[in-house]
Amino acid sequence: MLFSSITFLFMFLPIVMAVYYLVPNGAKNIVLLLASLFFYAWGEPVYVVLMILSIVLNYFCGRDIEANADNPKKAKLSLVFALTANILILGFFKYYGFLLDTVNSFLTTDIPYRVLPLPIGISFYTFQAISYVIDIYRKDAKPQKNILYFALYISMFPQLIAGPIVRYADIEEQLKMRKVTLRKLGQGSMYFIIGLAKKVIIANSTGAVFEEVAAMSTGSLSVLTAWVGVFSYAFQIYFDFSGYSDMAIGLGKMFGFEFKKNFDHPYVSKSATEFWRRWHISLGTWFREYVYIPLGGNRCSVSRNIFNLMVVWTLTGMWHGAAWNFVAWGVYYGVILVMEKYVWGASVEQLPKPVQHIYAGAVILVGWVFFFSPSLGYALRYLWAMIGGGSGIADAQGAFLLFTHWLLFVIAAVGSTAYGRKLLNNAVRFSANRTVRMTVGAVLYIGIFFLSVAFLVTDTFNPFLYFRF
Amino acid sequence: MSQWKKITIRVMRYVTLLLIVGFVALLLIYTSGSNRPFEKVEKSVEASLDKENMKRQDGTALKRNFGLNAADYDGVMYYSSEFSISSEEVLLIKAKSETQTAEISSAIEERIKTRMNDFEGYAPESVQLLEDAKKSVRGKYVFFAAAPGAEKYLEIFNNSL
Repeated sequence: MLFSSITFLFMFLPIVMAVYYLVPNGAKNIVLLLASLFFYAWGEPVYVVLMILSIVLNYFCGRDIEANADNPKKAKLSLVFALTANILILGFFKYYGFLLDTVNSFLTTDIPYRVLPLPIGISFYTFQAISYVIDIYRKDAKPQKNILYFALYISMFPQLIAGPIVRYADIEEQLKMRKVTLRKLGQGSMYFIIGLAKKVIIANSTGAVFEEVAAMSTGSLSVLTAWVGVFSYAFQIYFDFSGYSDMAIGLGKMFGFEFKKNFDHPYVSKSATEFWRRWHISLGTWFREYVYIPLGGNRCSVSRNIFNLMVVWTLTGMWHGAAWNFVAWGVYYGVILVMEKYVWGASVEQLPKPVQHIYAGAVILVGWVFFFSPSLGYALRYLWAMIGGGSGIADAQGAFLLFTHWLLFVIAAVGSTAYGRKLLNNAVRFSANRTVRMTVGAVLYIGIFFLSVAFLVTDTFNPFLYFRF
Repeated sequence: MSQWKKITIRVMRYVTLLLIVGFVALLLIYTSGSNRPFEKVEKSVEASLDKENMKRQDGTALKRNFGLNAADYDGVMYYSSEFSISSEEVLLIKAKSETQTAEISSAIEERIKTRMNDFEGYAPESVQLLEDAKKSVRGKYVFFAAAPGAEKYLEIFNNSL
């Protein structure tokens, strides 16, 4: 079930909210857990069993690590068991087909194999489970004795299928006790509505532009069309994913939880390093905490640090998908980040700010080409078209797409910065009178909500990019 | 924590892992798709079809009847009845990605609904075929059969993967 669907907005959410607010505090976790399992089973009636088994497995793994806490060797073995099991499950569903395809292609063999569809959200909930067992091993968190609470941590529907990846240590206390207030409900609703609008109005519209460009052969792309395409994709993926994260954070607030922000206006960055501090923050934090620092982080020799960075970024690329273009995308960022750290980072910082923004923008856009391309060859051909190797500088198609969507691009560009929210806040706070402010705010947000619903009803193009990860 | 409890927890980890392995094995047997090329699967299914009342259709018919573009997929095999009063048809599609299978599935459901409305009241045999129709999604493959031999066709499709 998508957050941006009529079924979710007008059936699932109102019913769950009503029951959640009516039941006593002691029953709220149970209600939320049942709702989460139903939410997942709606889209994955078979794989809900796998998720439940994964919950049970990690629950007992956590308890086993605790049981061996007085024996470091045994505790470590227990952690290794938990990590191996989780990585094998994720690896089987995500990479087994890719691995055999690669073997078949390199050895020109035809090894037959069975394929299973990727369970939605498996990358997110497996990473949460791994964070849980590691936090317990490190004694950063206590194991959850109540399996229902642990099940809720893994399966909570607001962040189950597309994050943010919530660390157990960050949410441990909230699972036991949290405040559910009308104020939080209001704040959460505002977050949710903004996220919905970002997804339905901007991401879907820019996505439709990108689809038009992607349907053309790279040889027929003019420079203008290729750039319109890559900008459209950049806006689509940002508003799609950050919109979904806003909806998740908003829903969390509505149920009394506080999730950390997952995006911080990444397109205003002045370097790739800064971009990754602002983009998918929960994933970056996860890799830093559970891979980069355990490998030695930056407290080691330069060569070892470069190795650590390359491992982290190759894994980050692979996390996004089992395909060589994602590996290339990860390695690309690994190399850029190493270069920024050890070669040209200081020089970039000396440049005028607009030039720094242009530098970061170019790096990010080239990265998205690797990301959206179905193959490495396509990515290289698309990049070639962006610098004039396709069909000239400008053509009627590019001009048409630009002139018919310029307002959309302006809104997307402003919305990518802090000015977007500032404009919205200023519109609400223009009056000193509290009643006027509240009325304007309510009208504005309800208006945005119904506008989003209108887009949802009339628009047939409503994909969600991060589901496949 | 008592020794007994520690052992129970440890054993439960292995039991759960075994359950996961068993569950995945069942999925592989009953729901998985395969990397077999479309041509091979198509050949097996096509050879089994009773073509007396059905004729192979092109992309235009697929678009007209299901609203799907044949060019969007890795492979399409579509047979349907030459007679307008018959609902007999068999469709096999290999999608380019698993995300496409949902749209193909919905198109098939929509097609069944429309055809049921078309035949309701005057062609009970065709309605029966639609009620007994078989649909299966296995990996990137989507199979649909509304035909007297639908059950058999489905079995052959499953075995051909």
